Amino acid sequence: MTEVIFNRERHIKYFLRCLKTFLPEPYTFNDSNRMLLAFFTVAGLDILGVLQDKTTPEERQGYVDWIYQCQVPTGGFRGFTGTDFGVENRSPVNEAWDPANVPSTFFALVILIILGDDLSRVKRLECLRWLPQLQRENGSFGEVLGPGGKIEGGGDLRFCCCAAGTRYILRGKDGADIQGLRDIDVTKLATFVQACQAYDGGMGEAPFCEAHSGHTYCAIGTLSFLSRMVTNQHLPAVLSPGATEFETLVRWLVSRQTAELGEVEEDFDEGDEQIEISQCHKPLPTVAVEEADLDAEVDELPALLLPTEASLRWAGFNGRCNKYADTCYSFWNLATLVMVDRLSLVDADRNHRYLLDKTQHIIGGFGKGVGEPPDLLHSYFGLVALAFQGEQGLGSVDPALCISQRAVDHLHSLPWWRGNV
Amino acid sequence: MEGKYASDPEWASIKPIPLNDGSESGVQPLATIAYPAAYLEATSYLRAVMAANEMSERALKLTHDIISMNPAHYTVWIYRAKILFTLEKDLQEELEWLNGVSLKYLKNYQIWHHRQVLVSREDFFPTPPHKEADFLMEMFAQDSKNYHVWTYRHWLVRHFKLWDAPREIQDVEALLTSDVRNNSAWNHRFMLRFGPREGEPDAGMPNSDGSPSEKGRLAVVDEDVVDAELKFAQSKIVRAPENRSPWSYARGVLRAAGRPLAEWKDFAGKFVIKKDDGYEAKSSHAVEWLADVLAEETEPASGQEAVQMLTLLKEKYDPIRRNYWDYRIRAIAGQEATASA
Repeated sequence: MTEVIFNRERHIKYFLRCLKTFLPEPYTFNDSNRMLLAFFTVAGLDILGVLQDKTTPEERQGYVDWIYQCQVPTGGFRGFTGTDFGVENRSPVNEAWDPANVPSTFFALVILIILGDDLSRVKRLECLRWLPQLQRENGSFGEVLGPGGKIEGGGDLRFCCCAAGTRYILRGKDGADIQGLRDIDVTKLATFVQACQAYDGGMGEAPFCEAHSGHTYCAIGTLSFLSRMVTNQHLPAVLSPGATEFETLVRWLVSRQTAELGEVEEDFDEGDEQIEISQCHKPLPTVAVEEADLDAEVDELPALLLPTEASLRWAGFNGRCNKYADTCYSFWNLATLVMVDRLSLVDADRNHRYLLDKTQHIIGGFGKGVGEPPDLLHSYFGLVALAFQGEQGLGSVDPALCISQRAVDHLHSLPWWRGNV
Repeated sequence: MEGKYASDPEWASIKPIPLNDGSESGVQPLATIAYPAAYLEATSYLRAVMAANEMSERALKLTHDIISMNPAHYTVWIYRAKILFTLEKDLQEELEWLNGVSLKYLKNYQIWHHRQVLVSREDFFPTPPHKEADFLMEMFAQDSKNYHVWTYRHWLVRHFKLWDAPREIQDVEALLTSDVRNNSAWNHRFMLRFGPREGEPDAGMPNSDGSPSEKGRLAVVDEDVVDAELKFAQSKIVRAPENRSPWSYARGVLRAAGRPLAEWKDFAGKFVIKKDDGYEAKSSHAVEWLADVLAEETEPASGQEAVQMLTLLKEKYDPIRRNYWDYRIRAIAGQEATASA
């Protein structure tokens, strides 16, 4: 079989097209997520190492200015210019209809960092005062403040992670210059996040929800941001090697790698299905009979067929138990494994082949699944997943901030961020 | 702009506020979208009524129009809820409208949050909405693993205390009968059986503040429920032994009950047969289970056997996770080294 190649030039073209021309009409569905789309576009070119070469200083300044235009007067950033009815019209009565948004604030800040901005125009104190207002009694975060300052949005772990990330960026290394400013309740946040660990080891959207790789990433990302800011602390169990919580999390993460790609010709354990269908309506027998039955049933089961090398050649990741592989889950799972320092436990080669052979698109970018057209989210996450695995031509990426190490170094070099040390 | 709002007398009193993407002031907007003209017009009227904080029938209709073009618009849903409450609209009617929207946009998150906001209104819904479970099953007929719908159903159970409502477990069983690999249904079953029943309705876990070994463990365990659930898992495992869901479920049940994995050593052993030239397995998850049980035993031979099981997974049945099985083998070697030191 021919060696698959990473088509760097095509990916550069794809991201440049997204940067410099209009995204097609179906993206209207994602209008409210423009800050996220902007993040994928700018961060993609940065990971590919061409952001400086392929844009002019004037263009980059123009992008920075657009981000600042999305900053709301009371601190934080809106997700898109579509809610902005003009600062001259803004009042305490209507400002809830043009609110700062938690994920968008995080993504606006990281785009500014990638573009080399010094964050001097960020309403830093206002933003840090706004953040605790979004924290619920149970420790989780909402998305926006609605009328009357009510916390709106679901109890989504994405909001927790973006809130913790925003705090990490804006407080600085030791928060030395903002002593006395009310902080979020870190203990409550950490407790809530850990309570989201499901019985199989992954994390769900809320306690007792089904484990999901996206939420698992957000959970570990949250704890990672919180733990980066404290030295000599006692790490939570889910981040402590050897602890049950940690080891079941790792088991769950590596179990997400799968050769079930959801291709049309896929033969999904046909034998099992037949057994199921023939017995699905069996009434519950008494216990004694059932045990004898169970033994007989197990006896009748065939031995497992050994997987062939060909059937396992391509193995990506799914986001939940018994689902098909999807490009973005290569990112969510690998990034989490990087954060817990267990990346080496997956099969890098098979994932590499899955991404390059099966979801890398001929015009550049990556699709969600086999043969699907590229989109910004899957294209960026496909790139970053490959970057974690050391792909030539891609810079190294910070798993929690989800941006290049170069950009993180820039944040860490800002005088107020470095603090007194 | 000559759109449907500009030409509608009902909207004549409103001066639309066009999108200000900054391009006129020299900034370079990012992630620009080729918006349809109808969307640009409707959103310019939305900005105007929002700026005026208008609570009216026409604004309500406008939110419907915007949602049909961009159902992920995060403020339009909050605005719509505020209008509904201010005008004291019939929320049952709203729910019926929402059903149609939900079936059209399956992957949308805001729709399900809006539903939760409506159904939270105790004055309208002192009990669950009529035919709510039927509608959720209609959603599951489209996608039986839809995460938003399951999360909403989870909330519904806790809000109305439906853990023991016959319909809940019936629906879970029906979904598992049609697809025994539906991990979402397995998870819902776990929540019904072992989820917390006290405290605030929307979050929380037994002992979430407890020490790590106590976390997730129930304060009071009904051993009959535990035994019945373990039997249930076994009955599903024999139908599809490579299905990971019931094996995980059983681990969760035992953990919640504070009982050891070793309880299933015999059951798992039935799936792993010793032959002259090694082992033959009927389920890789049974091999993993045995490895876990053996690794916890203190007899010196058990560690060896655990390594044999892990090697079986690494070399024969689950080579994708070769590096992970090696990691487990190293952990056992490390334990033994510590024990003999």
